[in-house]
Amino acid sequence: MKTTKTEFRFFTILEWTQEQEYLRKQHNNGWRFINMKFPGLYHFEKCEPEDVTYQLDYNPEGIAHKAEYIQMFLDCGWEYMQDYAGYSYFRKPASKMDGTEEIFCDDDSRLDMMKRVFKHRIIPLILIFCCVIIPQMFSQYHHLNRLSGIIFTGIFTVMGIFYLILFRTFAIQFWRYRKSLK
Amino acid sequence: MNAHIKKVYVPMTETGFYILLCLRDTMHGYGIVQKVEAITQGEIKLSPGTMYGSLSKMEKDGLIHFVREEDKRKLYRITELGNQVLELEIMRIERLYRTMKEVQ
Repeated sequence: MKTTKTEFRFFTILEWTQEQEYLRKQHNNGWRFINMKFPGLYHFEKCEPEDVTYQLDYNPEGIAHKAEYIQMFLDCGWEYMQDYAGYSYFRKPASKMDGTEEIFCDDDSRLDMMKRVFKHRIIPLILIFCCVIIPQMFSQYHHLNRLSGIIFTGIFTVMGIFYLILFRTFAIQFWRYRKSLK
Repeated sequence: MNAHIKKVYVPMTETGFYILLCLRDTMHGYGIVQKVEAITQGEIKLSPGTMYGSLSKMEKDGLIHFVREEDKRKLYRITELGNQVLELEIMRIERLYRTMKEVQ
């Protein structure tokens, strides 16, 4: 019988709630999360089914002062697993909690985390979009009579559209998250 | 006390209030979590993500200062500014309590 498995799941950088829920469900079904080395590739190993809460934090300052950051979580009974793309992964079995527990206990700090993700992940994307993609889309416009010009403009137009779809998704997710808090 | 401090900390979150209240003694983050659980009879359990974020924010804003490190745990203490903010918050809560009693 297989004792490990790898699953592909894609979550955007704003879908950490869904990602937490996914990892919890896997553990409930007897698959303990080991690690993720490539975006979207989750490694699991077989275990006794158990209700374990998974939580993601995004805190660049914490990662910069890793020892004390992880110690705080350890002291509160949270096992640290790994960092990935700025996110730190923690888990705690329900049997060690009284009631439900999360790594944040008020909406102010939940919103603070969202703001950190925006500052470090989304704003750079907006800058790339405005300073690189948009100017490149139009830079070859006068060469549209040449094949290279068409290809070049085409590539950046597709990228531009991709970014716009991404921003739209972020906006919706941000709005939903804010609404779920208050 | 500048406008930024007033805007962020007056009134403050329950977490922020308990942190300042505890840091009148030198303590680390987990020490605060334990103390708050004890003095509220287990009613309030502060979470590590919230604690870490609040402590670093308060240190940056000058409400608390770093004292020393012990076994990978940073110990903090309230500053003069932190005391002023805590005093304002205590007065606000007292007024709230008095008003509630009068109206009841």
